Amino acid sequence: MVAPSILIVHPDRKTQRTVQRILGVTGYKVDVADDVDQAVRLLAHLQPVLVVVDGAMQLPSLSELVDAGKARGAEACMTLLGQSSMSQVPAILGMGSVTNLLVHPMPVLAEELTITAQKLIKNDLFGAEKYLLWGTRLHETILTRASQRSHIVAELAESVRACGQSARVASMAMLVTDELLSNAVHNAPVDGNGEHYRKDLPRDGELELDARHQVRLRWGCDARYLAIEVNDSFGSLDRATILGSLAKNDIRESGGGAGMGVALTYRSCDHLVFNLAPGTRTEIIALIDVRYPPTERIQASSYNVFVQRPTP
Amino acid sequence: MTLPAETRGRMTVTVTGDALALGGSIDESAALHELISRAQAGRLTLDLAAVTFINSLGVRDWIRMQAAAQKANLAVELRRVAEPLVHQLNMIIATRGNAQVSSFYAPYACDACGREESLLIDALANHERLIRLDPPAQMCPECGAQMAFNDFPERYFSFLAS
Repeated sequence: MVAPSILIVHPDRKTQRTVQRILGVTGYKVDVADDVDQAVRLLAHLQPVLVVVDGAMQLPSLSELVDAGKARGAEACMTLLGQSSMSQVPAILGMGSVTNLLVHPMPVLAEELTITAQKLIKNDLFGAEKYLLWGTRLHETILTRASQRSHIVAELAESVRACGQSARVASMAMLVTDELLSNAVHNAPVDGNGEHYRKDLPRDGELELDARHQVRLRWGCDARYLAIEVNDSFGSLDRATILGSLAKNDIRESGGGAGMGVALTYRSCDHLVFNLAPGTRTEIIALIDVRYPPTERIQASSYNVFVQRPTP
Repeated sequence: MTLPAETRGRMTVTVTGDALALGGSIDESAALHELISRAQAGRLTLDLAAVTFINSLGVRDWIRMQAAAQKANLAVELRRVAEPLVHQLNMIIATRGNAQVSSFYAPYACDACGREESLLIDALANHERLIRLDPPAQMCPECGAQMAFNDFPERYFSFLAS
């Protein structure tokens, strides 16, 4: 049996070494390839849990690599993008198969890489705590009526301002929270036939939410990230729908169509994380980088789509 | 002349001189398209300084309003556009319609004292430099030092390109 490993495919030696050092701490064997041809040859003898790829790679090569990784059972294909490769983002989203995208100035940030690798390896996906510094307090609210949404959103914005964050951060937090709560109340509920029976109900109508339909909101800030986490207990959101929504170009053009909330949320935060336990639970975590000044950050957002593996 | 504000859900509408001033949250209860009937002499002027929030349902309503204005051959002027709306104008091209933005708020920060402020930019007077992605200089209201533009110009001013 082949031991599980991590495969890095990147032409830049310094990035290879940086990523290798970061992911080496997971305890997994880390293999490195300079290009797709070398990676495909290596893959014939490997069973990687994770393939980490240079996002600046030509699209056909990237696609080939993602498919080859999946064929060997790789849990996720993570693509790294630096400032100079930002124009690749729409094309990568358009592929609809890259489940994890990390954007940041190179060399990469260790935290995001390590968290992603650990979550995949340990199959321990849920909780915004994983993205925040130790000791960060998470405030929790349970939505028991649909009409509480606007009040909760306004209250969160006030609290964010009260803890010293800028109007820009509070404004982004309002948009993200409103979209995630609205999605959890109206789009998440499904019946036995997979019918989303609340998706067409008026968003301003009142709905009492019983235990099954209640939505949990948690948020906290560690002075790097403001994390906003929303949970529902249906687990109806799937990977294909998410990737399709993230790739939506028509929100630029028409602003319409299903999945607009997800697309807007993604474009309004710095990192969007989907934790999916099919049929049981969906958790979405939006991370807003609160560091000053915002121009030192990068003009694109990261995302992760994690799907919990069934426990034996 | 300013008339008392009317409330539409969580949004307020106030008549101020030649403009309708919108304030608060634009969401599913705003019924923005109904504002078309308030146009005067073929012109609808919206003062958006007090808008604090717009969600995806508000965006849909906003696009419907823009489409109705185009159909009715109305000239739409957006005045003092607040930052949350500028973000939508940048993210979703359809929100721009045929409207002319005469002024808008933009984020600035002071390197000297660390203050962040949303400051008004006259889009018409600064048109040439904004197209060059060169934000106008602004003074810090607290310490008087020159403030720096606090976002990416190519992203924040992209709504002016159409």
